[in-house]
Amino acid sequence: MKILVCIKQVPQKDAPLRLNEQGTWIRDDVSWETNEPDAYALEEALRQKEKHGGEVTALTAGPARAAQVLREALAKGADRAIHLEDDRFAQLDAGNTARAMAAAIAGENFDLIVTGLQSDDFGAAQTGVLLAEILGIPHATIIIGIEKAENGLKLKRELEAGHYQYIEMPMPAVLTIQSGINKLRYATLIGIKQAKTKPMRKVAWAEIEGKLSPHMQKIEKLYVPGSQKQTKKIEGPAAQAAKELVEYLKNEARAL
Amino acid sequence: MEADVVILGGGPAGMACALRLAQLIDAHNVVHPDKPLTKENICMLEKSREVGQHCLSGALLDPRAMRELLPGFEKEAPLDAEVTKESVYFLMAKGQRKFPIVPPPLRDHGNYVISLNKFVKWMGQKVEEAGITIFTGFAGSELLWANDSTDWDAARVAGVRTDDKGVDKEGHPKANFEPGYDLRAKVTILAEGTRGNCAKALIDRLGLEDPEHAQTYGQGIKELWEIPMGRVAKGEVIYTLGYPLTSREYGGAWIYGVSDTLISVGYVTGLDYQDPRTDPHHVFQSFKEHPFARRILEGGKMIRYGAKSLPYGGWLTMPRIYGNGWMLLGDSASFLNSQRLKGIHLAMKSGMLAAEAAFKAMLTGDSSAGTLGDYKTAVNESWIHDELWPVRNFHQGFEHGRIEGMVSAAIQQIMRGGVFGPDKTNPPGYTCMRRIDDLGPSDWERAPIVCNAKGDGKLTFDRLTDVFHSGTRHDEDQPVHLVVEDLNLCRERCTREYGNPCQYFCPAAVYEMAESENGGRELKINFTNCVHCKTCDIMDPYQIITWVPPEGGGGPNYDGM
Repeated sequence: MKILVCIKQVPQKDAPLRLNEQGTWIRDDVSWETNEPDAYALEEALRQKEKHGGEVTALTAGPARAAQVLREALAKGADRAIHLEDDRFAQLDAGNTARAMAAAIAGENFDLIVTGLQSDDFGAAQTGVLLAEILGIPHATIIIGIEKAENGLKLKRELEAGHYQYIEMPMPAVLTIQSGINKLRYATLIGIKQAKTKPMRKVAWAEIEGKLSPHMQKIEKLYVPGSQKQTKKIEGPAAQAAKELVEYLKNEARAL
Repeated sequence: MEADVVILGGGPAGMACALRLAQLIDAHNVVHPDKPLTKENICMLEKSREVGQHCLSGALLDPRAMRELLPGFEKEAPLDAEVTKESVYFLMAKGQRKFPIVPPPLRDHGNYVISLNKFVKWMGQKVEEAGITIFTGFAGSELLWANDSTDWDAARVAGVRTDDKGVDKEGHPKANFEPGYDLRAKVTILAEGTRGNCAKALIDRLGLEDPEHAQTYGQGIKELWEIPMGRVAKGEVIYTLGYPLTSREYGGAWIYGVSDTLISVGYVTGLDYQDPRTDPHHVFQSFKEHPFARRILEGGKMIRYGAKSLPYGGWLTMPRIYGNGWMLLGDSASFLNSQRLKGIHLAMKSGMLAAEAAFKAMLTGDSSAGTLGDYKTAVNESWIHDELWPVRNFHQGFEHGRIEGMVSAAIQQIMRGGVFGPDKTNPPGYTCMRRIDDLGPSDWERAPIVCNAKGDGKLTFDRLTDVFHSGTRHDEDQPVHLVVEDLNLCRERCTREYGNPCQYFCPAAVYEMAESENGGRELKINFTNCVHCKTCDIMDPYQIITWVPPEGGGGPNYDGM
């Protein structure tokens, strides 16, 4: 199986986030790590390769620092990597990120593309699905089990409230993986050493730009919500107060 | 994988060592293209998840070693500010006095305010570019020995074993268990920082420490603060002595202007205090409440926290630094000038000199003590000796309190480090701790430094709030990495004799005497809080706590510190 894993580099989970001066994004001086569900996607890809043979390619889009997540993937056992390297890739919306990735893998013909079900920073949960759409292949989300069947895949999806769905689908396909599907492996010393000689293909912004939609996302403002707790006291006889409360809930709070 | 050289620890000493070794090999290969040496089999192990994340210091950098290592480094290295102004104050409970002149050792013009984390990260890039692999997330769990000998002459270090990964809290392998790797090496260089676990085992096994001159330590607590403009200038350096410590404890504070609105502020408390309830974290919180510090900090915001121990003993407490197949660098080997409160440049220089000996071992194929002894000779002939020898009695002079210490320091200043009579000796710091019933009536003077600080949440903090700001993370499902030999001793004897000082000296609230299920109290170890400062290993009065590395990658995250 020829498998692609799409990995995003995100701020470390408990990193102290502070706004940049323009108030458009966070300051860059935090620690970065592999997006957690993407780490599970990588692990799943490596396990499938170990079972069925083939190769695993890791891909990321982002500035030079993002190469770290690819080095980790290579150290854990991925065979090669693709880095869409430019600061601008980090600010794309899900649609354009998917377009960029689709353009970067044109002609590769992967049997299976896996990625985390969402990123820990933007959390849109769309990139994987949109990538499938752009490539014109089927997809399934929130996957917690993958088995290769004779002419496709047997999958287990996580639904709400402890329910699962079992589905079958053909390949090639895009799957978005839920955290916890497997137990992550550690990179070994030998793996890290070997990773240094594995191929990493860089894709520049200029190669991709023409494939993107001209409607670019721009973050106008990011801010920490101020605390807005307000107390309103309704006075008067009970019947009248109740009426007033209902009016308030209907018209002002719009809770009813 | 068999290595020519393994450098254990990616701090300033290890990085400088790796860089110098790469330079020597490159230069050799230019002159001798027919007999090239390879850098392929030189590697560095670092227990933090990324380079520099466990590096913590004030920090001021004396650029001397860096100028030798990478001339012109100022142009590209991350330096926050050049020191432009220094002052020293003596704090009383109310008020302060400014020293009329800055004592010469504390004159810092020409030094740089840096973030050691950022600086080491930058050095790490240089090391990688030079072709030496840094394995982050790997701790050295123990040394490999070529034989059973415990004799310095005969014993030989044969490499290092890395930590096991994927072990659960009962000690059983998890599904993703990855056993430690035996990394065999011709030369093993220990640059683990203060009280490194492998360095400690080596020093114990070969009896390298002189009992007359045991290493003494301090514990530094640091916070980064954003403050309003105009209080501390970029490049300004302030030292204080005195409050909240009494004349019986050793220590002092620093404030460094990183930028016009960002300062590094911290306090070092000597780990040779008498009162077992002394809490260095509380010392620092009380310092911040002193009007002098309050004026600087009030209205500002604490953004990062960290704590680390440092070796104070200087030249006289330096253990033997080389042997068959091994060398000791940096803080692991006492390369710190406690009078100038600086060690980064000495750590780097020790690394550079060790690199020269390691290079010779690579060239000749002989990594015995005969070759690696060049390192010690070079240290003796270098400016490390010139700097440390005259201040060899400095910290030791303070053993009987501040007043005698100051007098002693003044005499040494005149006598180039000498004192009347032979050099001062000193016992390990933990032996200075007195039993509770020995302390006498409670001393009101010590109220601001004993027991845990509560914190007001704005200017002062309790330890858990601070630990949150250290970015510390450990996988919870792993064995406790603070190995206490005998928990009964903690519950019975220590409670009676010392009142469980681990509750106070730990700056990360790891140790807690908690109600046990059967009514009594017992020691609870919250190891996931551990910031790897090693204070417990150093200061426990019975010496029954051993700090072993947790699963690689765990620990604090000192980004920007």
